[in-house]
Amino acid sequence: MMWVELAWLIPVIPLVAFPFILFFGKSIPKGGGLLAIVAVGAAFFLSLFVVVDVSQGNLPVHGGGEGEPAGGGEAVHAYESSMVWTPVPGPESPLEVGVHIDNLTCLMLIVVSLIGWLVVIYSVGYMAHEEGKPRYYAEISLFIGVMLGLVVANNFLMVFIFWELVGLCSYLLIGFWYKKPEAAAAAKKAFLVTRVGDILFLVGIIAIWNYFGTLNFGAIQEQLKTMLGEGALDVQMLTTMALLVFGGAVGKSAQFPLHVWLPDAMEGPTTVSALIHAATMVNAGVYLVARSYFLFEHAPDALLVVAWIGGITAFMAASMALVSNDIKRVLAYSTVSQLGYMMLALGAAGYSASMFHLQNHAFFKALLFLGAGSVIHSMGTNDMREMGGLGKKMRLTSLTMLVGVLAITGVVPLSGFWSKDEIIVSVFHSGNWPLFLLAVVTALLTAFYMFRLWFMTFSGKPRSKEVDHAHESPCIMTVPLLVLAAFSISTGFIGTPFWPRFQEFINWGHHGGESFGATSGMLMAVSLVVALTGALVAYLLYYRRAASPDRAVSSGAGRAVHTLLTQKYYMDHIYYWFAERVVYGFTRVCDAFDIRVIDGAVNSMSDGAVRAGGRWRRSVSGNVQHYAVGIVIGLCLLILLLKFALPPLDELLGGWPGLSRWRWWEGWGW
Amino acid sequence: MIPLSAYLVFSAILFCIGLYGVLTRKNAIVVLMSIDIMLNAANVNFVAFSAYSSPFDLSGQVFAALSIAIAAAEVAVGLAILLVVYRVKGRMNVRIFRELRW
Repeated sequence: MMWVELAWLIPVIPLVAFPFILFFGKSIPKGGGLLAIVAVGAAFFLSLFVVVDVSQGNLPVHGGGEGEPAGGGEAVHAYESSMVWTPVPGPESPLEVGVHIDNLTCLMLIVVSLIGWLVVIYSVGYMAHEEGKPRYYAEISLFIGVMLGLVVANNFLMVFIFWELVGLCSYLLIGFWYKKPEAAAAAKKAFLVTRVGDILFLVGIIAIWNYFGTLNFGAIQEQLKTMLGEGALDVQMLTTMALLVFGGAVGKSAQFPLHVWLPDAMEGPTTVSALIHAATMVNAGVYLVARSYFLFEHAPDALLVVAWIGGITAFMAASMALVSNDIKRVLAYSTVSQLGYMMLALGAAGYSASMFHLQNHAFFKALLFLGAGSVIHSMGTNDMREMGGLGKKMRLTSLTMLVGVLAITGVVPLSGFWSKDEIIVSVFHSGNWPLFLLAVVTALLTAFYMFRLWFMTFSGKPRSKEVDHAHESPCIMTVPLLVLAAFSISTGFIGTPFWPRFQEFINWGHHGGESFGATSGMLMAVSLVVALTGALVAYLLYYRRAASPDRAVSSGAGRAVHTLLTQKYYMDHIYYWFAERVVYGFTRVCDAFDIRVIDGAVNSMSDGAVRAGGRWRRSVSGNVQHYAVGIVIGLCLLILLLKFALPPLDELLGGWPGLSRWRWWEGWGW
Repeated sequence: MIPLSAYLVFSAILFCIGLYGVLTRKNAIVVLMSIDIMLNAANVNFVAFSAYSSPFDLSGQVFAALSIAIAAAEVAVGLAILLVVYRVKGRMNVRIFRELRW
């Protein structure tokens, strides 16, 4: 019995906890929180055992298919187990339900379950005074459960099902305070915007099914390998499929131009934001691209699109973060920006760099969000202009936040430095100079806005009286912060150029990136200098107050740029315009068609029937003699018909034995 | 010998007189009487056909006798109904018996 054979239980445990918490939450301690902690914790420890199994190559040997040891030559890379869900007519393979555990899955399992667990623990403190706790814990354990399901799924269809469930959970949790109109609107926005990507993903799945006849990752990979060997690969088709799948990822991972939902998603509880941003929802998109990387690998055009979308997103989001005063919104933009980084790395063939950044980002972004949650919990506001000087009141929060800020900025030797540097190296090696510049400028902006956030919140003088009442959060909230801070410091060390253990793991044994050399040393220095420059500018502007940033944006070009950024590049306006003019216009045309033509046809038929009935009922006079006249006229007509219009009676009634027995009409001449 | 057609013409005239009465008269009792005239036209036909087609078989005559008996029963029922209607309405005009309409 190996742990990896129990991998299917990992998503099932939180999923089973969901109805229990929902229905019996009131009688469980902490409004169902305890059960959520136990369920997600169990999923985490199970994931941990599975990962230990996989990293030691301790996988069960099963007949045929993937993971065959091949006589000891090739190492076993993946564990796969599935059962047929429903057979499909035709030569295509049946739809199946199964788990696929490889190194990428392991990474995601740990990230999702560990961060999910810490967030649930933190929630016990953060949500202590909220209404509707059973609903919250039920939905959050469902959220983590479906995300784990998405990660272990072994085919596109299952991924899609969990993908939609993740979207549903995000809708439910962003709209947790559904009585607040903004929260309800944000939930709807998140659901609808990601739905645009989901449609593309679904079309992509159908295209893949048509082309390969299977949705299983392993089977598609094998087919691609043989097609590549025979030179029978349709690159254009492959590019289309890859881009459609990427369309889904654009929606879920909030990439340009579908990034608009993520900043609004801040209306949910901060813990939910942390979960969405660090562990579950947005990582699903990056994970999907990484999981279906075999499609992208041989489609250079698709990779280029991924890289450009990622680069543009990274830069745009970072620039919008510069001007936001809402602490959570800054973090939201930084998430969008960092996800852009991951996409950029994937597009620049930096597969391991992207996954490395995903892992590190998950930890420091969870840390930053939970830290921000701790600040909001004690301040009761999100607005950084009303904060300031919180460092003394909330020492633990401010220090752990500083760790997160340093990590995301990319200061050596914290985790963000190693992965961001590796992304920059891979973009550099792809030889695309505009993208390289975008990446470096984004790194500069990131350093600036993150330090701006920290200085505005924790340093200087208090700017409102709420700061005086601020206090450090309870243990149950600070301990997860400390754990995450420890991870934010340390997770980078497993993937340094000097000891690339992570890259070896994720690349299945062979080291994908190149070893440490002069170029990468120089790039390391560049990224460090860039990060420190950004931090220094923020220090001068927001700590020393060497110059007033407000004056710079009060007139001229600065003002124009500031307006552009605060208006979020007018993306929302464009969407509103599109929705109002194009979509709504089209809707009105459809509505008119519905009312005039479809309803019109039905209504006129019923009106006609009613009117005809109104006329006809006059004939029912109640006078017996009128009826008698009717009978006489009818009789006359029948006789005339028989005489002149109808065929002879012999023909008419001959076939009816009862009527034709005596041939009573014979001799009538009829 | 009187030809069959004479009986049939007589029967047709009788039927038409009855029909005219049913369709035009107002008095319910007259209408009932007219119906009986029509019935009797049919009885004449029965007897005439029977006498001409098979003179030694009396089935047509028997049928006519049966029909007369049934007509008597029907008239009894009809008169009883008319009596009750008369008590309610106070008149015998069929054109005011119009409760069963739209």
